[in-house]
Amino acid sequence: MMNTRTVSGASFGLTIGRVISLATAGAAENMAIDQAILDSVTRTGVPVLRFYQWAQPTLSLGYFQRLAARSAHAQSEPVGCVRRTTGGGAIVHDRELTYSLTIPVPAGAAGPRSVLYQQTHASIADALADFGIHAVPFCRTGVEPRLESQNSQFLCFQRRTAEDLIVSGYKVLGSAQRKSRSAVLQHGSLLLCTSLYAPQLPGINDLLSTPVTAEQLVPQIVENLSESLGVEWREGSLSNQEIIDADQICRERFDSSLWTARR
Amino acid sequence: MSRDESKLLYAESHEWVDLAEEDGKAVGTIGLSGFALEQLNDLVYMELPELGRELTAGEEFGEVESVKAVSPLYSPVSGKVVAVHEDLPESLEKLNDDPYDFGWIVKVEVSDTNSVESLLDHAAYQKQCAEAG
Repeated sequence: MMNTRTVSGASFGLTIGRVISLATAGAAENMAIDQAILDSVTRTGVPVLRFYQWAQPTLSLGYFQRLAARSAHAQSEPVGCVRRTTGGGAIVHDRELTYSLTIPVPAGAAGPRSVLYQQTHASIADALADFGIHAVPFCRTGVEPRLESQNSQFLCFQRRTAEDLIVSGYKVLGSAQRKSRSAVLQHGSLLLCTSLYAPQLPGINDLLSTPVTAEQLVPQIVENLSESLGVEWREGSLSNQEIIDADQICRERFDSSLWTARR
Repeated sequence: MSRDESKLLYAESHEWVDLAEEDGKAVGTIGLSGFALEQLNDLVYMELPELGRELTAGEEFGEVESVKAVSPLYSPVSGKVVAVHEDLPESLEKLNDDPYDFGWIVKVEVSDTNSVESLLDHAAYQKQCAEAG
């Protein structure tokens, strides 16, 4: 299997980071924790890697998407909805592994951190390769991106950007970012199995004969991200401040219908 | 008349400001630098502030999305928003070609001219961009 861990880019040298173990929470809480971590990394500069799953199937809207656009996808209408702070299209979070990676960025850095998409996705592709899954970035599939596939599709997994991971022609991993003044949050979804609420989107286990679990994948992804980013990930948990911040952010933003319906 | 980018002031976060006197008041016209737009690579969304909003230098006044990344825009000066380029969010494809004229985003009536002192001149900003790669 081709080693995809060859991207040069951001490296922190020998930095210590915090990895937060796989856990399941509600949609608003998950988004609030990611935001609290972004605020915390903006203050401290210490990278944080987190893995999570969703207590109930949920549709998340990209930050700039209109709530009314939900009508474009009837299958996901029965599930709850949360608005992310990150860009891109809507995602049905159900049978998936979600990660969030938050790292400091240099003052004056502009634009999306493309290298971070590349490094993270390469690390996940290598973890998948260990289980016999051949995933490649869309830009290396040889398929020409169609303009209409970029933003007109409601669902993120029906769009294609250069670093999306593709297995057997299907997108299985997509990520998005949110920048603060001195940090960037990137979170992404790895589809494990098809959701009842997005039946057109297969997960990796629908394309494999031997199923792989989130619990099997996480340690391998952590190890690969340690190597590619130059971060020694140490097991940790949310700080008291992050828990307090997440609780407030959850109430004021992600659990608020005003926030969800702001567009 | 085209704006001369070498005469503008810049924030570390890549917003430019053109200071001028209008009706006896200091007004700063604000946009995003050509370097930032190149790095952002195809903006797809932009959110603008409301007219009349009071901004403090360094405060977020809007947001943009490119390549699934949402980035804040920071005001280089303190003051009240007196004009907003309402057509811009629907014409983002024109921004890269003309960041300093068509690409103005807001005008701010500057309330605290001290807030300008920490901004970079063109040479210092160019140096920052070169170091950022």
